[in-house]
Amino acid sequence: MKSLLLLTSLLFLSACSEHLVRVMPYEKEFFAQDKMSLSPIGERAEQEGHIFLIREASAGGESSFQGGCGCR
Amino acid sequence: MKKILLTLLITLELFAAPSVGDKAVSFTLPSLYNLQQKTSMQSLKGKVVLLNLWASWCNGCQEEMPKFVALQKEFSKAKFQIVLSSIDSDPSNAINFLQDVDPSKRLTALYDAKKKLPKAYKCLGMPSSFLISKEGKILKVYVGSLDDAQIKELKKNLVKLIGK
Repeated sequence: MKSLLLLTSLLFLSACSEHLVRVMPYEKEFFAQDKMSLSPIGERAEQEGHIFLIREASAGGESSFQGGCGCR
Repeated sequence: MKKILLTLLITLELFAAPSVGDKAVSFTLPSLYNLQQKTSMQSLKGKVVLLNLWASWCNGCQEEMPKFVALQKEFSKAKFQIVLSSIDSDPSNAINFLQDVDPSKRLTALYDAKKKLPKAYKCLGMPSSFLISKEGKILKVYVGSLDDAQIKELKKNLVKLIGK
């Protein structure tokens, strides 16, 4: 009885982890849309960065090695 | 304890994705161009099949498609067939894309509205391709788009399997 309970709970938990947490590759249709991108229009991204620099007085922060404080 | 482990192993085996050496997943899907016309895995027996799971929104899928058209041109469709299974929610997107890349409709394009095949194959990435033998067994699994080196290797394998 105990083993059956253990097995059922294991199956139940694994099912939850599969369907609730992971977005499968074939379910990413809406993520692939242009509007989901942070800068949907590539040509405008540089201009937006310039405006952001003037408005916020900070640069960077787009990559993992820049903090966005303008110190690099 | 042994019984639990055995049951657990059997359960894991049941949930495992089909891999090399396993029987290909059987399916019956409508054609992308004509939803009334169905194609099944059974009807492809006797041919080597490259089953490609793709979508028009996937950049990798778009990149490799011209390579598939060229590959199908090279090998007779009677012996080797490239079968595309689109999972687009709107089939017109897939049709529009294929009209540009494959205007002569060399590739067999199917439509998998319910995403049955990627679910059955437990796809790890898009696109995914499966080389299936004449007997219906999986010979090779490709996750992601095929690069030139992989296409070259695939051609070598095809020559071995079906001849030129």
